[in-house]
Amino acid sequence: MSAGAPLQPHGALRAALLDPERRADRQARADRLLEADGAGHLVHDLPVRSDGRAAAIESRPWRVDPMPIVLDAATYRWLSLAVAERMEALEAVVADLYGDRTLVHDRTVPAEALAATDRYRINAVGARPTRWLSTYAVDVALTADGVWSIVQDLTDAPPGIGYALLDRSVMSRVVPDVMASTEIASIARYTGSMRRALAAATSVDSPRIVLFSGGLDHPSYIDHSYLAVQLGVHLVEGADLVVRQRRVWLRTLDGLEPVDVLYRRLEDPTVDPLEIAAHGSVGVPGLLQAVRAGGVALANAHGAGVLEAPDVTPFVEAAIARLRPMEQSLPRLADPGTPLATVPVAPEAGAGGHGEAPVVLRLFAVSDGSSVSVLPGGTGRVLAPGDDPRRPTACIAKDVWVLGRTLAPTFGPRLPQVDFGRSLPTRAADALYWTNRSAERAEAMARAARVVASRIEQDPGLAALHGGGWAHRMIGLVHAVGRTTDHDHLVGSDGEDPSAVLAADLAGLGRLVAGEIGALLTEATTVREYLSVTTGRVLAHLAELRAGLARGRVGVDDLDAVLADFAAFAGLWHESIVRGPAWRIGDTGRRLERALVVIDLVESTLLTARGAPADDAQREVDAAAIEVLLAANESLVAYRRRHRSDVEADAAIALVIHDDSNPRSLVTAVERLRRHAEEGAWGVGVDLADEALATLSLPLHELLPAARAVIDRFGHAVVERWFSSPVSPILMRPTDEQAGASA
Amino acid sequence: MSRRYRVAHTTSYRYGASMTDGYTVACLVPRPTDHQRVHESTVTLDPQPSEADSYLDAFGNLVHQFGLHEMHRALTITAVSVVDLDEQERPVDDTAWEDVVAQLDAMTGPLAVDAGFFRATSTFVDLTDLGVALRSIAERSFTAGRGIVDAAEALCLDIFGSFQFDAGFSDLSTPLTRVLAARRGVCQDFAHLAVGCLRSIGLAARYVSGYIETAPPPGQPRLVGADASHAWCSVWTPLAGWVDFDPTNGHLPVNRHVTVAWGRDYADVTPVRGVMIGPPTAQHLDVAVDVEPL
Repeated sequence: MSAGAPLQPHGALRAALLDPERRADRQARADRLLEADGAGHLVHDLPVRSDGRAAAIESRPWRVDPMPIVLDAATYRWLSLAVAERMEALEAVVADLYGDRTLVHDRTVPAEALAATDRYRINAVGARPTRWLSTYAVDVALTADGVWSIVQDLTDAPPGIGYALLDRSVMSRVVPDVMASTEIASIARYTGSMRRALAAATSVDSPRIVLFSGGLDHPSYIDHSYLAVQLGVHLVEGADLVVRQRRVWLRTLDGLEPVDVLYRRLEDPTVDPLEIAAHGSVGVPGLLQAVRAGGVALANAHGAGVLEAPDVTPFVEAAIARLRPMEQSLPRLADPGTPLATVPVAPEAGAGGHGEAPVVLRLFAVSDGSSVSVLPGGTGRVLAPGDDPRRPTACIAKDVWVLGRTLAPTFGPRLPQVDFGRSLPTRAADALYWTNRSAERAEAMARAARVVASRIEQDPGLAALHGGGWAHRMIGLVHAVGRTTDHDHLVGSDGEDPSAVLAADLAGLGRLVAGEIGALLTEATTVREYLSVTTGRVLAHLAELRAGLARGRVGVDDLDAVLADFAAFAGLWHESIVRGPAWRIGDTGRRLERALVVIDLVESTLLTARGAPADDAQREVDAAAIEVLLAANESLVAYRRRHRSDVEADAAIALVIHDDSNPRSLVTAVERLRRHAEEGAWGVGVDLADEALATLSLPLHELLPAARAVIDRFGHAVVERWFSSPVSPILMRPTDEQAGASA
Repeated sequence: MSRRYRVAHTTSYRYGASMTDGYTVACLVPRPTDHQRVHESTVTLDPQPSEADSYLDAFGNLVHQFGLHEMHRALTITAVSVVDLDEQERPVDDTAWEDVVAQLDAMTGPLAVDAGFFRATSTFVDLTDLGVALRSIAERSFTAGRGIVDAAEALCLDIFGSFQFDAGFSDLSTPLTRVLAARRGVCQDFAHLAVGCLRSIGLAARYVSGYIETAPPPGQPRLVGADASHAWCSVWTPLAGWVDFDPTNGHLPVNRHVTVAWGRDYADVTPVRGVMIGPPTAQHLDVAVDVEPL
């Protein structure tokens, strides 16, 4: 390559980035970092959510190539000016198409083209939003003969800014040395510009802004969730919002809270199922009625996607020329097959193996009405051979570096501080609750499996003890803690060799742990903004281990690795979440599940023993089972410190059920439930917790079923009180009544 | 001379379970036209809605929107209107239809929107796949140099004569392809068919939703509620403006027709549509329409 090759680093920077020695390491590190943020495989291959809904994920994992695209300052300055001008020109075009329609009157944009596409929103005709385009993205490419060209405008719900920020954060950890020694424009201030632009979409002072996503099923969900964290706004889905009295409200644990601006990341035709030519069921019924009445602003405004319609794009350049005749700087790429400038790519991704591939750059801009800010960076998307530049299939992203420092920071109006610790959307609360229940249950299952597996490992004779009596007891425990009678997972114990059955059941329990981890990951993925970055790494690691468990790998070492992750998850949850409603509802889920786990464990190991004739062999089985109970409850050490004798049932029961100084006892769990209910000013919960505490004075064989019944009721009451609302909307069958009328 | 009608249109939904929330959009109120005056109109919801709103859509149709935020197992939307219809003469416009197309192609100013918007493919009128088939039907009537109104009337009578009305044949999901193949359908199919034929040769055509006065069988009393909503077609002409015709009944002009709304096709003017929130369940729909001459 000559020194003048565009898009590429030169000199020392080039040498540092292309260092063949370090390239593989950097790629591996980039892959790991992306995975921790859920952008890799984490959200794939997940079974079902707690509500039974399958999570259909269409997004494909993509990778960040640690070799960035490099723009010199002059090129960037020129490009950003062209992008800013184009954004303002497109704003004028959209405003005209829904307003005076002079472009249609003089046939610059034929009415026929608008009529033919559902991207031209009938409902937006005549609307006068504060702005049509608050955000904008544009794909540009440098042709092989050196002409910067427009590939496509993204005006509807421009995707990818979250990915661009994520790519940069990955790069800053993959090549920190290179970045420190090079003058690269910072992109850190762009989120501030975004907040100002979103606030400017409404005339309300200090508006309340939320990011309106399609949820986990939306292909850009990770883009949305990463961006929500960077912007410091709630990530909401249709079910979180409700329209009342021409306003949009967010369902939170404290009731309905008004919303002023929806940063719309859903495509135009999906935002309101009531509208003409609406599709999907992710929107909010009545949303556009609220928009029409001025009760809420969408950014971008409803209808802005018209410029992406294939029917309309052929006329966009003429429309710009007509409304902003002097300002058009970039030509549109006439033919998708035009040869493009190439850049070095990761060896395994290289087109045809020669290490170079064409690339399309996505640039981002926002406008607050008075000025346009262009991100001093962007995303490069590598094209596979034969790709249409609008739809790259290689799934390789490159960070875009602009050489030189950025300008001084700009200051804008202060936005209301929304305290995530205080305000919690109902759906997020629901996901945090189930995340913690799943984590607690999975941890208990893994620990039970680990204890049983290690006992067998230490003393293979145990399985045959007392004619298989111990093995039977352990089979009962595995079934109880797995909470299943599903014989697809666990094998029955009739008549077969108990030790073989137990081994098979342990493998089955491993698969159940894998399933529970899947549920945990699915729920956690929908509330990433509440969990720390480190938690993301733990979850990514759990996702890896999950595959082994699903294949029946339940050796002590495998289970130890899983348990370490669970401990890390629980510790991070405890140490990094502000003590507010989010923590309270999550911890409620954890304590509730823990109470049920204790009951399951005691019931399966002790209750079955009582009443049976107690000969020596039986007593030996009992003692072995009690040890397992204590170990599975993580109370064996505590027991040994307190009781120098061999394990005894009564002392064990006192420790795991009645001892309020044991953090894993039933009474501690229920007392925590009571305190959470009290702090949440939830009288029913307090009453139920009191009722559960009262059952603890019953004899054991009455205590366990009574406590379980009350705690189950507590669980139902949580769902009813806090999460009862959003059932999926049902589209009313249109009246197909026009079968009449021959006069 | 004019006729006065009272139109009542009742749409009732019953659900197998209680709905916690319901949103309804209704396009049921006749709009004023050159031949039609609307004296009174009401749209009501039972149970009483929690909120109500109305607006004119992009085509000038009056749309009502209701929110019902309480538990309900049934929902009834009732629209009652009193309208006067003027007797229309047969419209006159002998402009050759090819000249009309040429005028539309070159049209500028507001009419470029008002007519041009009704020349394209749309949800229920798919010109991309059916353009050729529709064009071959249109060309039977739109012969070289024929006057636009004459040719439209011929198309109207052609559809009336060669397609069979069959109340049980189609529902909303029946594509025009099947209507074309089976040569049968209901009024909305024939309206879509006529709209498609006209657009396939470059003309501007609207889908019109409304009601028609139906005469009882000879010697029998008029049955209340036995009528139905209706649909027909309107074609743009340079001299006579928009000319309505009814391919289901072979009428041009339309003189017993109460116009409610127009749009590109059924999707723009669906009489009642909505969303409810509740458990998945069965639902049952009853519709009663009564067009009563006063």
